[in-house]
Amino acid sequence: MHNVVTKSRDVTLLEVLDRVLDKGVVISGDAVISVADVDLIYLGLKVLLSSVETVEQLRGSPFVGPMQEPT
Amino acid sequence: MVVEGQLTYLYCVADREPKIREIEGPENNLYSVCHNSLYAVAAKVEESKFSEEGLKKNMADLEWVKTNATLHERIIEQIMTNTCVIPFKFGTLFNTDDSLKAMLDEYGEEFKAILGRLENKEEWGVKIYCDTEKSKHFSINDEPEILKIENEINSCSPGKAFFLKRKKAELLAQVVNRKINESGQENFDLLKELSFEARINKLLPREVTEREDDMVLNSAFLVGKDDVGDFINMVDALKVYYENEGFFIDCTGPWPPYNFCGLSNQKVRNA
Repeated sequence: MHNVVTKSRDVTLLEVLDRVLDKGVVISGDAVISVADVDLIYLGLKVLLSSVETVEQLRGSPFVGPMQEPT
Repeated sequence: MVVEGQLTYLYCVADREPKIREIEGPENNLYSVCHNSLYAVAAKVEESKFSEEGLKKNMADLEWVKTNATLHERIIEQIMTNTCVIPFKFGTLFNTDDSLKAMLDEYGEEFKAILGRLENKEEWGVKIYCDTEKSKHFSINDEPEILKIENEINSCSPGKAFFLKRKKAELLAQVVNRKINESGQENFDLLKELSFEARINKLLPREVTEREDDMVLNSAFLVGKDDVGDFINMVDALKVYYENEGFFIDCTGPWPPYNFCGLSNQKVRNA
């Protein structure tokens, strides 16, 4: 583990969203549903970020299932 | 596996068997599909929430996006501790596992080539921010021309001083702009030297970053695992140097290689 800048400690939600909503492989085909490009500004990220500033402990924290409603 | 009312959500593709047992929780329904010598890590999700219509509705719900985007990232990060992965974009869904397998057939060779290229490499992100006021303050003493004007301001008539002040402000803005461009380029070039591949992404505005300073570089690097130490040392050296100039360098990683797994038909997207 690198001590200086590991992500697990203090990565903002911005960093996560900047990647998972905007990057990553996109495939096209009849059988595939894919989320259209999401503009972070359109998402109202400011509001989103002020509710939870950082994603602490990105590793090792309990998972929340995709079907679980946000609390 | 076809279950009525459910869709297959794809997280990532790997070429070694992912250890999903360790991260399998009661809620996340994770499983792997082995096909065409590739492993797809997927989960069953409710069609009502992830159908095109359901997603449209849910993507407007910030809490929902936050929860699910974070989960997406967490799962891929767990998988990548054991094997090289191709991360998929949030919200990639298939009607059935068979349609997922068909996709693995169609793109299999490309995926294998990408995974081969990504082997033993990590993505690191570097964002640079600039506090322009601070940078202006630091720049005054570096520029003989500005210093000269400043001296003149102190010794001339109020009328002339007014115009000189305006000139000084213009010059200062130019100097800071130049510094931003030069430092962004220098940082990027130096870090690129230590990487296999590098990307510059679009800058995010303050509304999104919620910072007082401006993002002046948003970059990503594909770094060899053996070179990560050198890469971080370089970032630290740049931090020390540039923080005295009003810049803040934010380095994060290792990330799944979101920026470095473009398919050939995505070349435009990733350019």
